[in-house]
Amino acid sequence: MNGEHETTSVVFWSLLAVGGALTIYGLHGLLNALGGITGHQFLEWFVGADIAHDALVAPAACVVGFAIARLVPAPARAHVRAGIFASAIVVAIAWAPLHAYGHANAAGNSSVEPLNYATAVPTVLVAVWALTAGWFAVTAFRRRNQSRGAEQPAPRPDQRA
Amino acid sequence: MRARVNKLDARLHSVEHGVFTSDLHDERNAALLGTALGVTFTICFVTGLYSHYAQHPPSWFLLPSRPAGLYRVTQGLHVATGLASIPLLLAKLWTVYPKLFQWPAFNSVAHALERIAIFPLVAGSLFLVFTGLANINLWYPWKFYFPVAHYWAAWTTIGALIVHIGAKWTVTRQQLRPTRSTPGAPKSAADVLTARDLDRRRFLATVFGTSALVTLFTVGQTVRSLRKLALLAPRRPDIGVQGFPVNQTAGMAGVMHAAASPHYRLVVTGNVRNPLSLTLDDLRALPQRSATLPIACVEGWSTSQQWTGIPVRDLLRMAVAPPHASVHVMSLEAPQRLYSTSELNHWQAHDADTLLALRVNGQDLALDHGYPLRLIGPDRPGVMQTKWVTQLVVR
Repeated sequence: MNGEHETTSVVFWSLLAVGGALTIYGLHGLLNALGGITGHQFLEWFVGADIAHDALVAPAACVVGFAIARLVPAPARAHVRAGIFASAIVVAIAWAPLHAYGHANAAGNSSVEPLNYATAVPTVLVAVWALTAGWFAVTAFRRRNQSRGAEQPAPRPDQRA
Repeated sequence: MRARVNKLDARLHSVEHGVFTSDLHDERNAALLGTALGVTFTICFVTGLYSHYAQHPPSWFLLPSRPAGLYRVTQGLHVATGLASIPLLLAKLWTVYPKLFQWPAFNSVAHALERIAIFPLVAGSLFLVFTGLANINLWYPWKFYFPVAHYWAAWTTIGALIVHIGAKWTVTRQQLRPTRSTPGAPKSAADVLTARDLDRRRFLATVFGTSALVTLFTVGQTVRSLRKLALLAPRRPDIGVQGFPVNQTAGMAGVMHAAASPHYRLVVTGNVRNPLSLTLDDLRALPQRSATLPIACVEGWSTSQQWTGIPVRDLLRMAVAPPHASVHVMSLEAPQRLYSTSELNHWQAHDADTLLALRVNGQDLALDHGYPLRLIGPDRPGVMQTKWVTQLVVR
């Protein structure tokens, strides 16, 4: 985030000009296309997404990370973190089908959100945690082999092949 | 006043350096995740732009009719890449979260401009992935028109991304530079994996692995061979009336009676010397052609089916249309309804496989798939494969 080393860069100022122009083009398009109430709503969602992330999602992730660091033994931390992260993403992606939100806009259309997500999502979560457990097992196995190798005395020069 | 400022200064400094103690909030993770996001966002932007121009072609752009599956690939890629970006984006934002509390907020004009551009970048990125995710589920918890908001937010975000790339160009190149020595050379300190390196590798494996899992469990909505794994996808290419999905049913379109009426006619009019008005029996009696073509929806699902019907170019020949005619296709839907009409440019109108289909996979079209007659052509967005066709206006 520190921009000191970039202040004299040609790359920075060139891309600032190009990127700034495109951003202004986008904002101009938004202003023209979304007037009145829907423009207000757009702003609420656009700004609200940022605020929701910075004030809720990121702090929650930090709290979970802190809890993992305090509660989970060091050898399993990365794996538990992986399982929780992947599970949270799965639930976030499946949130709308889990709640059948699409059905409200597609009455009588059986091809929208057609699965039983109440079983599909847990199935994916089981797969996530099975992979996580497998990863932990492989890591633990490797660690044990390494520590055994380290315990064995080095062979004498005359014993070497 | 000065004391208060100093106090705030000290607090923000302690938040940035004292609260976020994880080594994973480092520049290398930010650079790696940022590069990955740069690639995925560029793919989303380019494929999204293609989709936009396919639906709203400017005067200088004629959508080609070949390759037939191009739109299927670009839009499938757009949605799959957007979904894969979700873990990358959240991990990247977590990695750089401590920078939010950086104090002083900026230390030069360039730094201030860089930080200002971060707001549209972060807000735009979150807005795009969230609204995109909602859209593929046909879920609209807002009142603005999704395609317009998504399109213009994409320009805003890609612009801010370019500014960010400029700001991070040097540091990213430094961070991505390999640190390992050449093979065969004696091991240096850089070759020994530290606990920090190991933790970073596991963190990145988690993030990229989650992206891969998300793809695996959703991409089956367009890659048929993986359809049984599409447990998180809002569509399955093999589920729906006649074995494939529908976006808009005849009931939703309000055409149930008109489509089933014995008075149905297809009218070919406009810039023709021999206007046509054909009954369903007339259409069935015309020479038929079959083609296997995809329906590819903006929501990212797609499916190939075998369609049988009358090539549009044969109807243009019968109506004695000019050789480079384009066609305005009209549905039985009320004209004010979105996507009740579509355009065929002259390449599309004269492609042998652009059909007014009566049948799919050997069966009459179901009402929800456009009975009695629907347009199906190569390399077209699904919303432009107009259903319940009643009129061709030649231009």
